[in-house]
This record gives sequence, structure tokens and C-alpha cells, in this order.
Amino acid sequence: MTLTESGLIGKSVPRTDVMDKITGCAVFVDDVQFGPNLLHGRLVRSPYPHALIKKIDTSKAEALPGVKAVVTGKDLTARLGLYLIDRPIFAYDRVRVYGEPVAGVVATSEHIAVEAVKLVEVEYELLPAIYDPVESAQPDAPLIHPDLGSYSVANFIFPEPGTNISENFKIRKGDVEAAFADCTAVAEGRFRLPPIEHVPIETHTSIALSERTGQITLWASSQSPFAMRDMIAQGLGISHSKLRVIAPVVGGGFGGKAGVTMEACAVVMAQAVEGRPVKLRLTREEEFVGTSTRQSLVSDIKVGCDKDGTLQAMELTYYFGGGAYNDYGVNIARAAGYSCTGPYDVPNVKADSLCVYTNTPVGSAMRGFGMPEIHWGLEQIMDRLAEEMGMDPVEFRYLNCVRTDDEIVSGMKMTPIDLEACIDKVTKAIKWDKKEEPTAPNKKRGKGIAIMWKAPAMPPNPGSAAVVRFNEDATLQVEVGGQEIGQGAFTVAAQIAADVLGVPYENVTVSTPLDTKYSPYEWQTVASRLTWSMGNAVKAAAEDARFQILETVADAWDEDIEDLTIKDGIVISFKSEREQPLDKMVVYGMPNDDFEGWKGGPVVGRGRFMPTYVTNLDPETGQGTRAVVHYTVGAQAVDLEVDLETGQLEVLNIASVYDVGRAINPDLIMTQIEGGAVHGMSSAYEAMKFNEDGVVINPSFVDYRISTFADIPRKIHGDYVETPIDDGPWGARGVGEHVMVQTAPAIANALYDAVGIRFSDLPLSADKIYMALEEKDKTQKD
Amino acid sequence: MLARPGLPDFEYIKAETFQDVFDRMKEKGDDLKLLMGGTDLFVQMRDRGEGPSFLLDVKGLPGMQEISFDKKNGLIVGAAVTLNSLSSHPNLVKYFNVLCEAADTVGNYQLRNLATLGGNICNASPSADMSPAALIYDGKVIVESSSGERELSLDQFWIGPGKTALKNDEFLKRIQFPTPPEKAVGCYLKLGRSKMGDLAIVGVAVLAFPDSTLPAGIQFRIGINSTAPIAYRVPSVEEFLSQNPISDEILYKAAEMAMDISAPIEDQRATAIYQKKMVRNLVYKGLKEVWERLK
Amino acid sequence: MGEIEIILLTNKKRKTMAKHTITLIINGQSEELVVPSNMTLLHTLRDQLGLTGTKNGCEAGECGACTVLIDGEPVNSCLVLSVELDGREITTIEGLSSNGKLTPLQQAFVDLNAVQCGYCTPGMLMAGTALLRRNPKPTEEEIQKAMVGNLCRCTGYQRIIDAIMEASRQGGAQ
Repeated sequence: MTLTESGLIGKSVPRTDVMDKITGCAVFVDDVQFGPNLLHGRLVRSPYPHALIKKIDTSKAEALPGVKAVVTGKDLTARLGLYLIDRPIFAYDRVRVYGEPVAGVVATSEHIAVEAVKLVEVEYELLPAIYDPVESAQPDAPLIHPDLGSYSVANFIFPEPGTNISENFKIRKGDVEAAFADCTAVAEGRFRLPPIEHVPIETHTSIALSERTGQITLWASSQSPFAMRDMIAQGLGISHSKLRVIAPVVGGGFGGKAGVTMEACAVVMAQAVEGRPVKLRLTREEEFVGTSTRQSLVSDIKVGCDKDGTLQAMELTYYFGGGAYNDYGVNIARAAGYSCTGPYDVPNVKADSLCVYTNTPVGSAMRGFGMPEIHWGLEQIMDRLAEEMGMDPVEFRYLNCVRTDDEIVSGMKMTPIDLEACIDKVTKAIKWDKKEEPTAPNKKRGKGIAIMWKAPAMPPNPGSAAVVRFNEDATLQVEVGGQEIGQGAFTVAAQIAADVLGVPYENVTVSTPLDTKYSPYEWQTVASRLTWSMGNAVKAAAEDARFQILETVADAWDEDIEDLTIKDGIVISFKSEREQPLDKMVVYGMPNDDFEGWKGGPVVGRGRFMPTYVTNLDPETGQGTRAVVHYTVGAQAVDLEVDLETGQLEVLNIASVYDVGRAINPDLIMTQIEGGAVHGMSSAYEAMKFNEDGVVINPSFVDYRISTFADIPRKIHGDYVETPIDDGPWGARGVGEHVMVQTAPAIANALYDAVGIRFSDLPLSADKIYMALEEKDKTQKD
Repeated sequence: MLARPGLPDFEYIKAETFQDVFDRMKEKGDDLKLLMGGTDLFVQMRDRGEGPSFLLDVKGLPGMQEISFDKKNGLIVGAAVTLNSLSSHPNLVKYFNVLCEAADTVGNYQLRNLATLGGNICNASPSADMSPAALIYDGKVIVESSSGERELSLDQFWIGPGKTALKNDEFLKRIQFPTPPEKAVGCYLKLGRSKMGDLAIVGVAVLAFPDSTLPAGIQFRIGINSTAPIAYRVPSVEEFLSQNPISDEILYKAAEMAMDISAPIEDQRATAIYQKKMVRNLVYKGLKEVWERLK
Repeated sequence: MGEIEIILLTNKKRKTMAKHTITLIINGQSEELVVPSNMTLLHTLRDQLGLTGTKNGCEAGECGACTVLIDGEPVNSCLVLSVELDGREITTIEGLSSNGKLTPLQQAFVDLNAVQCGYCTPGMLMAGTALLRRNPKPTEEEIQKAMVGNLCRCTGYQRIIDAIMEASRQGGAQ
């Protein structure tokens, strides 16, 4: 299919990377070929959730034929972190979670490395372990990080040394006490959810090579090669120019590949065997145990409204179980703090959003970054409050949902959105006002709604850069640092460049793999920020290149640059109707008359984008002029059935609508909506399970179950609305995370509609539902 | 601690004759295991990080992959018949449909191209889907050693979770099922955490056929998995059903009796009380379904 | 057990581990290989032959990313020993399309945007191809049942079902 018009924006062009992926040509990091000097690494992991390390004896492992090195944290006091630098590469004085790396073995085969791991002897002294964030937040809880006070920390994070609290974000706005006193109805509740996992189908894998010159190359399945480079370079005290990160095709990230998990281990192991690449690949079981997870959350929420149902007051505490190291988690707690109310206009708010150390896997960025966690409780408590007032949940949300220019919880004005339009669309699609008959006599049916908001949670200065570069035949290379993780980032980049430059879309290639040596800088591929931020950079780069071209042609034709355009790869003058194909001219330039000299030359466009307007927030009140760059909002409605004989849920229909600002590629948005709805639905059933010794007892697909072909809703109705923001490309902003944020509470609300039972704790299961139904039946009969 | 990548070292040997098998089993003892589909064995070897030094592949020996049926002698299934071969075989579909239904719920299609009936039965998992189906068809296992063949009923063969009555020098050759009585109907109902592809939280196989000698006029057979150390029949319930004119209440009472007999353990997959209730609900549903079909 | 014994035992085990010479017919090409007993087809394909289109997702037969066809039937290559496959015909993702010509199923994946990160895609295509060959006009439920052993975290599956249906309308899996 040849798309030769500009006006690609808003067109559902095919993915730029699809051919590689359906032919098996796409190169993921484990597919990269190395020579016979490749070595294999395995990690020695702690069997205990919390213990002092008394002794590590690696001598037997080192003596095993084929073992080239065994590395520990003994001489490696470096710590890693983004916002709070608290994580060692290898644990050296204590372990803080089951599975934490204590040593790394490098051998000539994975097989030998596996045997060598068994030979590393570690002596531990057990310490009391703590798993629950509320318990861990108490003043008398055993300390997981006694040295918390000595860690470097970003200036917008406020840990409390002497406790397990790594961040306490506060909102103190208005007067909640007085407001509650005047409320007509108040609803209060505690909501809980366990840690869950990203479960990318490609496990974390990295290969590191440390040359004798000191140059290090790291191949990794990474969403953010620049952040990976930055963290490891800083942690190891080496120059950014000495560490090169190459990030090939990523087999799913969902936030789990956003930072550094085990890649620093690979680098350190490679440094021990100079000149030979070391591959470190996690098994599926290690993926379940040894990578970061979504944080657990206990939320205590109290909310009140006046006689009209208008929200007046909210008081809440969020206890995020940040895990053993909170280097990402602190920002999640912060983001949950400044968006703590959910997408509602609430004038009086008292909130504490805490990130708390627990002896559980590292809590970190996972699709939604705190929003799914808090919306689980928020959207249910709103339903409860609506019920107290005798209001329909949809009516309640129309009344209270946030609108453009409202002052929101952090004191900023709400950026352009239209949440009401999203609610309109989902309620129509799900036929909200129609009470549907169950599909069988042993079933009960119900509908539920949930709305959401999310802002990209970033430091104030996250930048994007892009370069566009023509080949001699006028095909175009687009160079970015933002990663394709399935969401369509490369396609959008190619589309934007093609549109601005007036070249055919299929003539545009995004240069891959991402490589910090050659790719322009991108802060991270997280926060649903690429379409907006990287998109702006690509647009600017394309405009820069366009200007270079038109300037040369205008000069050659002695015309005004305003009278020229590029269409289908040809420069055209509106005035003279002259044409100049881009072919060759974009590298070789244009000759003067009679070839007396030349104009132009190789066209290379560059662009960048960085927001400049995000401000600080007061550490005591959480108030500030501009907490975030923008919000994206959306609504989901669920129609489901419960099988009364087994407690099994079946989702019949999900309607899911988001305000994306501008749909650059509508079908890509649909694919995010569909995938997100299933991911969100799956998240209602998923849970990491631990025994009393802090050991993960479901580290496999058998017992950590994700949605399969057989579990999907019968219908997903996806749609979007477009309320542009003023600094997105054509007004666009991202939606990749938002699409799964509120599915779990929408399901919970629908479940309440169907059977009259509220579930405040995740995960849901047929077991839980059935037993709750029996209990309800019993109490009704009594 | 965690499962290892890849498989531990072992030597693969393809058995040439049955004598070959007996000799090697005798010679290597515990250091040798028989290799069928490998779908359970390899996962276990990864989990444990170790395994036997020798894997002896017996799948190619005479009869191991054969299915034969005649109405007089019944069904003979070689131990190495894959679950997909089983569930698509016309004679099984016609006369032993519950075996087919159960086989089709095991794992996923790719696994069923590798997993064998014999391997499944020898793995003796309390939650195996094939077990209740095999029980209601009165399956018998034929095991062989250098001293010859012997026959065991399934409840003799399974002696505990993961444990069979196989002696050190014996292996499972084939599984036999007598032809079911005329007009028998049956079903396998499985409750998993996912709609398809999961282990059974509770699995119930029900067979029913007319028997005019009984007060009920129908004989029921019920097989249940996952709620006891091995899969089991419930003879007291089957007896109860045979002695009373069939009605909805009788079927429900029978289901409750089955529930009371079940002895599930609580684990991360399900609470014990839920498993018990599901035994009741699935048995009831299965009984009703076959009763409807017989009417 | 003392350290010397462990090392000797490990060496001993490695010494007794036989290697086998086998011939696999992969995507129509005969490949003679020497494989250790304990090497699965997944690793032979990826590590010995550099055919990295087949993916490692779990090594436990649960995710389907390693699906290949053996004599036309889909199996989890992570659970099959290469040594058992002497003389057998194996089809991998690399053998589906040739000279840039996609099969109807591959084309349907493109047209219906049934690919996101792409990691599950080879397994999906192999399992889907096998399904269409044995059942050219599957219902949605038959597709779900045939494909339940292939996990995807990105797409939500519906597009893949649609692509299989579309390919079925276009004449199946050839």
C-alpha cells in the first residue's frame, strides 16, 4: 500500500516494523550473534528475604573447570538508583529480598555456570523480614535500610531516615476536617492489592563486553538505553562515553525494562573477564522472582460530598510496598500523591502517599505507574459514595469529574481534556441504562464504570532529541532514542517525519537498534510520553530538514520559500509549478546554472523537545504551579456475568474510550486499547504469592496465570476523543498506560452490580467470589 | 532454588528391544528413567536441577504407539500414544468420548502432541485430567518386567501423589479398557483458574448407562481428581444412585455425598472448602447432563 | 560431599554424556548435526543453527513462543530432544515465507495489525498455520482452543483470532 499524500497524521498506516516481526527476522537481544568467545553468566541468589551476609566463599566455584570468574559485591560499593540511590549491584552486607543477587558466575557454557552457582557458599544470619507496607511504616518496624540517611536523593523526594519510609508525599489543601463535618454523605474504606508482574514474553537478557581499553558495550532488552547508561555509568564512576548501550527489538516491557534490573550485574561480570562478552539471560522463573514488580498498595480512603453529591473532602493514606529497593518506587508514591484524588474535582484534600521498604521484590514502574494501584480503591469508593447518595454511578461521575482549567489537587489548572465525552461514549457503547438479562439461568449479570487520569511522572526536565537523515535515493532515516516496545513508537516517528517532509511513508526507516553511540538522546520510554515528546522532537527535526531542502530549492529557483511545498517526495512550486524530485538532491545538492557551482548538500535535520514549565511542589502541602506536563483521561465500562455455580467471572463487553489529544495513528490507538483492556482485566486476577519465608511460590506460568486466548472479553469497544494540548504534535499525547488503569475497579463495580458484593482486595478469583456469594446467601437467610 | 535453564546432563538411549529395557533398568536402577513425551519429566528435571544419568526412550518399541479396539476385547492403548492421537481416534470418539474430552483439556495443543497417556498415568499427579476418565471406564494398566506381564487396576496402580506401584524392573506397556456398556453416555467437567489450559482445580468424569436390573434403571460411574492424594471413584455414591429412582433431589444428594468424601488440601490454587463445594457442583452438573442425555 | 568429589562427579557426568550425529530436515534443508543428549530442539535451532526466529519464553511448554512444526504438527520445541528427531521434517518461522512472499496468514497479521512487540509472533504463526492446515475453516472457539498454548501480553489476542479467520477466508495456510 503506497501512501503518497501528506496528511498522514490521522491515518492508520501499517506498522513500520511488522515485516521483520512476522518473518522471524526481528533481532531481539538473545538473537544477536556472538562468536566463540561468548561466555555465559548466572546469578547466585539469596534464599532468604532479609539476612546479613556473614561470608561468601567462591573458591569451589572458581575451581570448577570452565569457570572464568566469580564476582561478588565485596569490592563493589556502588549503588544504583534514579531518584534514590539505594541499590547495590550485588548485595554485599545484607540481602533484602528472596532472590537478590549475591554473586555472579561467568563460565564457558550456561551449563557449567549453573553447576558453579551451586558451589558458591554463602553464610547468612537471618533478620526479621517484613512484607506488609503498613506494618513496615510503623516506627518500631525492623529497619531494612539503616543507612537511608546517607543515600543520595533527588531534591523532590523526601525519605525519612530511621524508618522504612523512603518517600512521603503530602497534600494539605483546604480544611478537610471542617469540610467533612459539613458533608451529607461520607464513605470510607481500606483497599489492598498485592504485587503483580509485567510478564513480558521475552525475559530480561543482557550481554556485556568490557574491552581491555576500558570501553564497555552492553546489549540489553531495554526501554531506556540512555537511562541504563546513565545509571550504570554513574554507579560505576565511569564516563558516559565509555559505556555504550545497544537496545535491539524489545519483546514487551510494560515498565519492567525501563530501568536497570540485572544489566549492571552483567557489566560487572564482564569487567572480570576483559575482552570476552558475557551473556546473562533470565529464565522465566527468574523473571518472576528477580525482576521488578508493581508495588503492593494498601490505601485508606475517606471521601465526602454535599447534599447535591458534589465532592467536598478527601482524606487518604497510600502505603506502597516499595520492595527491597525503592529507587523507582519513590517516584510512584510521589505521582500517586499529586494525583491522589483520581480524576475528580475535590477542594479539600489531606493525603499522605508513602513508599515503604518491604522485604519483597523491587517495586517499580509498571504500566500505569501508581495509577492502577490507586484507582482500584478510588473508583470503588466513588461508587459507594454515589450509592449512599442514591445516585447512579455515571451521574455521580458527570457531576464530579475533572474538567479543563479546574484547579486540581496539586493546585495546577487542569490541562485540556474532555472526560465527559469519554463517559458519554462508554455509557452509550455499553448501553448503561439497559438492564441486561444474563445469558443463562445460573448466571448473574452486571455493569460497572470507572474513570481515570494519569500524567507522565517524570523529573521536570526529560528531553527528547531526533535526527532525520536522507539517503541518496531520498529514502529517509529517522534517528530517535525512544524505544519501540510494541506500542508503535517507531511507526509514529516514521509517520510524523514522512508527513512533515512530504515523502512516502514507506520510504522512511527508523534506525535500529537504538544505540547510545549513535542515537539521539531520549530520557526514557515510559510515562506514555513518546508520541508527545519524541513526536515533538521528530517533528522539529523534520521541519528543520524541510527548511534546508526548501531553502536550497528556493535559492535555485529564485522563488519564495512560502510558495514551495513537498509532496510525494517532490518539491513543487505553487507559483511556477516547477518540480524538483528529492532524489539525489538531498545529498548532492543542486547545481547552479551551467554547473557553475552547487547549492545545498547533505540534508540532516535535527530537533529536540523538553518541557520547561514544570515547577516544584511544596514538600508540606504538595501545592505548586505546575506539577506535571499534562493529563490524559479516559473511561471504561464493563458488562460481565458471574457463574453462580463456580464463582467464575466472564467479561462480556468492555467499552474503553480515551482522550488522546490527536490520534496520529488511529488503529495503533485501538491496538493499545484492546491490549490494555485485556491486560487490565488480567491484572484483576494476578498476584505474586509468597510463603511465610518470603519465598515466591508461583514463579511460573502454571501458577502465575495471565489472560489467554480463552479468557478475553467477547467484545471490546474502543474509541477515542481528541482534545488537543498546546504542546503536543498536532495536539497529541500518549495513552499506552492509561488503557489498563481502571479495568480492575470497573470489574469490581460491575461485580457489585451483579451480585451486590464489594471486593476491596485483589486478586479476584472464582474461589473468593463463590465463597463470598455463599456467605452472602447465608447471612441473608439468617 | 529456582528451575535451571536447559536440562541437566544425561545420556539418551533409544531402547531396541524389551529385553534391552529390562537389562538396563536392572543395571542402572534409580539412575535411569524411562522417557515418554518428556512434558512432565523435563519440567521436573529443570525444577530440581538434576535428574537421572540415563533416559531410556521406549516410545518406539512394538505396540507402544498403537491403538486397537474391537467390541469384544475392548480398547488397548499403547503407553506412548500421544493425547492428540488418542482424542482424535474414531473408535475413541465413538466409544470412549470421555477419554477424548479429558485429553483435550490437558495443557495445550502443542503439549498434547508430545504428552502420552502412559506418561500421564505414570506421573500419577493427583490432578491429572486423564485419571477420572480412565477410572470411569475401568481402565487397567499392563506392566511388564523380565518375568512377564501383570495387570493392575488404576486404584492399585496409583498409590500416592506422584507414586505408582511399579517395581524397579517394571514399566507400563499399555492401558486397557473394556468396551463400555451399550448406550453409555459420559462427560468430563473441569474447573480451572483459566477457561482452558489450566490444571484441574476440580475435575469430574461421569459415565451413565441403562441397567434395567437396578431400581434406578441407570448405573452411574463418577471419577474425581485433585481432591485426594490420587484420583478416585465414589462407589458408595454410585451405589446410592443405583438404588433410588432418579430425580433432581437424588442427584443433588449424591453430589453432596461425593463432596463429603472428597479430601482436598488447601494450597495456593484454591481453598479446601471451595474445592469441596466444586466437587458437589460439578458432580451434580455432570450427573444431570448425562441423565438428560439418557432420557 | 567434598569439593573434589563434586568436580569429579560433574566431569564424570560430562564424560559419559554421549553426543549423537543426526540429520534434521529444517525448512526443506538437510542439516547434519552433532547434538548432546540433553539438547532440546529449541537450543539446536537457536544456538547450533543460528535460527533465532523461534523464541525461548519459558522452557516449560506453557507460553508457545518456541512452537515449531514437526512433520506438520505443532510442538513446544523446548520440550523435545533433538536426538529424537533424526530424519524428521521441521518447519520454523524462517521456512514460512520465501522471496518476500508472505503466506495468507502472515499477510493477515500485517493487514489486521496483529503484531505489537513481536516476540510471540513466530509461535503464533506456526501454531496458526498448523491449525489452518488441519482445520481450514475454524470457528472462533476452535481457534481459542488451538491457540491457548500461545501467550501474548501485548495484543489482547482478538486481532490474532481475526487474522486467522481472515487467512481462512483467503484460502488457508498455504
